[in-house]
Amino acid sequence: MANTWGYGAMTNSLGDIQNSKAIIIFGANPAVNHPVGFQHFLKAKERNNAKIIVVDPRFTKTAAKADYYAQIRPGTDIPFMYGMLNIIFENGWHDKGFINDRVYGMEDVMKEAKNWPIERVADVTGVDADLIVQITKHYAQHTPGTLIWAMGLTQHSNGSSNTRMAPILQLALGNMGVEGGGCNILRGHDNVQGATDMCCLSHTLPGYYGLSDGSWKYFAKSWGVDYEWLKGRFKTPEWMNKKGFTLSRWWSGVLAGNPGEDAIHNNGTNLKALFVMGNGITSTAQTKKVKEALDNLDIAVFCDPFVNEGAIITDKQDDVYILPAGTQFETSGSVTATNRSAQWRTEVVKPMYESKADQDIMFELAKRLGFYDELTAGMKIREDKKEYKWPEDATDEIARIIKTIGLTGWTAKRLKEHQENWHMFDEVSGRGYGKMTGEYYGLPWPCWTESHSGSPVLYNINRSVKDGGMGFRNRFGLEHDGQDLLAGAGSAPIDSNNKDGYPEINRDNIEEVLKIKLTDDEKSRIGKNWKVDTSNIIAEKCMEAGMAPYGNAKARAKVWTFADQIPLHREPLHSPRTDLVKEHPSFADKKNHYRVDTRYISEQTKQDWAKDFPINLVTGRLVNMNGAGMENRASKYLAKLTPEMFCDIHPDLAGRYGIRDGEMMWIHSPQGTKIKVKSHYSYSVSPDRVFIPIHFAGVLEGESLLHKYPDGTAPYAIGESANTVTNYGYDIVTQIPETKGGLCQIARV
Amino acid sequence: MSNNNVDYARMKFYCDEQRCIHCDGCSVACAEAHELPVEISRRKVVTVNEGKQGMEFSLSVACMHCTDAPCEEVCPVDCFYIRDDGIVLHDKDKCIGCSYCLYACPFGAPQFPSDGAFGTKGVMDKCTMCAGGPEETNSHKERELYGQNRIAEGKVPVCAAMCSTKALLVGDAESVSNVYRERVLSSGHGVQSAPYGWDKAYGK
Repeated sequence: MANTWGYGAMTNSLGDIQNSKAIIIFGANPAVNHPVGFQHFLKAKERNNAKIIVVDPRFTKTAAKADYYAQIRPGTDIPFMYGMLNIIFENGWHDKGFINDRVYGMEDVMKEAKNWPIERVADVTGVDADLIVQITKHYAQHTPGTLIWAMGLTQHSNGSSNTRMAPILQLALGNMGVEGGGCNILRGHDNVQGATDMCCLSHTLPGYYGLSDGSWKYFAKSWGVDYEWLKGRFKTPEWMNKKGFTLSRWWSGVLAGNPGEDAIHNNGTNLKALFVMGNGITSTAQTKKVKEALDNLDIAVFCDPFVNEGAIITDKQDDVYILPAGTQFETSGSVTATNRSAQWRTEVVKPMYESKADQDIMFELAKRLGFYDELTAGMKIREDKKEYKWPEDATDEIARIIKTIGLTGWTAKRLKEHQENWHMFDEVSGRGYGKMTGEYYGLPWPCWTESHSGSPVLYNINRSVKDGGMGFRNRFGLEHDGQDLLAGAGSAPIDSNNKDGYPEINRDNIEEVLKIKLTDDEKSRIGKNWKVDTSNIIAEKCMEAGMAPYGNAKARAKVWTFADQIPLHREPLHSPRTDLVKEHPSFADKKNHYRVDTRYISEQTKQDWAKDFPINLVTGRLVNMNGAGMENRASKYLAKLTPEMFCDIHPDLAGRYGIRDGEMMWIHSPQGTKIKVKSHYSYSVSPDRVFIPIHFAGVLEGESLLHKYPDGTAPYAIGESANTVTNYGYDIVTQIPETKGGLCQIARV
Repeated sequence: MSNNNVDYARMKFYCDEQRCIHCDGCSVACAEAHELPVEISRRKVVTVNEGKQGMEFSLSVACMHCTDAPCEEVCPVDCFYIRDDGIVLHDKDKCIGCSYCLYACPFGAPQFPSDGAFGTKGVMDKCTMCAGGPEETNSHKERELYGQNRIAEGKVPVCAAMCSTKALLVGDAESVSNVYRERVLSSGHGVQSAPYGWDKAYGK
């Protein structure tokens, strides 16, 4: 996403889906995972006659509400979308004007699409050719159409290609930058967007600033700390610029050096300590590796309102600490919703018993580690205070520093005002009424200035920049292969001083591009470019000129820095179609991928996986639980709905293995791990695949761990963790685990 | 409902199958609000033809507060009473746990705790449409025996209040039918850009 048009975030909003004329959903199950948000899908269907199209390996509750359902083989989304594009291009249903003015590199996509005639797509994806034609025709002819996805599209070894393919489909149909269109990624948990924006990531600084010396210096200054001091915190200066480990592979950092483990590049040392705040690490792939790594740490700390089952699966006896953290009701501050809008939260009760709010745990930790003053210095800068006020001053600090995604307008004062007046906003457009006129609910970013409206629909050139309009971001240079990367003539947001494409704004080009003159005073205060301009002169001048500070460029279908410049189909590492693995092999093995050497082709061709593990393994969520399920299984009413771990299995498949409905069964993975679960006959899966939910823990390979919970903390329901059998396999760009396209073998108990 | 001159509304439940997604928000909200024992399900969500393409649908069921309620007809101790607004309630002090009502009910609404010696059933429990029972309104005893009395407080029953897609409707029959009629009539007419009447009242 970010590599296609500038930002990696949902482009429209849940409410905006009510404007759609067609809805296509790849690898997402909003009826289960976003039940409240799903009302907007249903309203689009009711009021707009919008058809819902679901492409999913499993007949989900969302599919039950769909008009078209394609039961796709896991890991074949790219062939499916190329199949659609091929039909679209052949029939001339693509938006030629849009592609010409606002997209770079579509010719290469057109060429590749020709390689995907319908019969071939049907063979690879397992979807009936007629159905693909019907879906394509309907989707192409009913615009605006919205494209929805979630983990079903991303959690693959080529997930980063999947998430480029979907935008390409939307660009080809001109479905971007319009109400009712867009690429709407559904964030799976509360504040995921905010956590990413604030950099719970290992490859950037907050706000997606990179790890270059320049970015570090900008932050050192903005945080009010000495750059040299920051540098001194690293073993050697060059480690400042290197990506860290990912959540999915931290365990390699502990286990490297053991036989069969991937090598790491971590300055000659393994990881020794783990600090977990509110992350259910039993819901990450390869649970047995997670356990083994926990066993080998020097110290492990878990901060959670409930007992983190990481502490349960490990056999480590000493130096495992469980800190009681408060819940979201016991603290206050802003969170960011899936549509990039902020919402202020008020503390309902003080943290109960001995628990503490997350930030207080961090502050106490920083005091003991000796950098509390540096950690909190940035909060006092704005008003030159002696003492900071939590969380308002933290929110204002974020607003002061983060220019890249336009958080300048997100002051604590404004966000509180939105929360207090949330009845004054329209549910579909987010537009404010009465005294909130001129603002959109939660000020969806980019919110360029302290009076900006917020941007409910990204890349919408039918609005002025002041009212949330913008073109695509100029992020990838001015030209490539001799072709101009700026937007075509006349495709600037309305009311713009500059009607054509223009570059991102900096100190040197601002007068020329905006066609304005700066005063000497402004010249002396202006920052080097829009991303580091703390004076905010660039953004203010841009608003006056009706122009976006980040420029107006073309989206790119071709990412020349990636292994695959345009998305190409690559079979999952563990594919049931050995014949197709030869035609569409995975990537070459990748060295030092977030510090870990990661296997692709060598794992894929290690043996004929499909022979011994002929069944596709699909994982997903249940409506009554989220994440690792720790808090949900501790609720008796939620646990009652699904008291046991189970496996959805088609009666035909079960019959072949002699497994009866409700009987226990084994699931074996290519990694040699296994889980014992209860079979549940279901027609929602086809006979070549099984489905297991991800929310259970507390049983490991048939052994109950119930005795390991501290007294009185055992949840009402425990069960095998699905991730004990999810397969090895990680995305080529992001390291996201391939949990949605693996293999397994099953057996009677 | 013998004539049109009733003073009271007729309270009804309606579950819109086009909207119900089996999220169980209603049943969990019900259990939490009334602090029910785990084995009691005043409200259940069922999915019919699960996994069968084109045939699957879900709906939420509880006591439907029937006109001519069969439970009331068969009860040997006459523990049921029907309020003027149509809500069917019962008196737990009279109930003997015989479960005749369970056999009579077409919706499986009556619930029985099953923890007595020799499998004897306790007294029956069912959905009260959040209207309590015969005890003094909002008294401790009413709360203990029947759960919250939200109707007395002017609140919507908790199941419908919590429904994520507003599939489950509750209220007087006319209002329920108005909401559903509006859904049918607005079908295919696009979205409202502002609440009805807003521009007249406050300008654009």
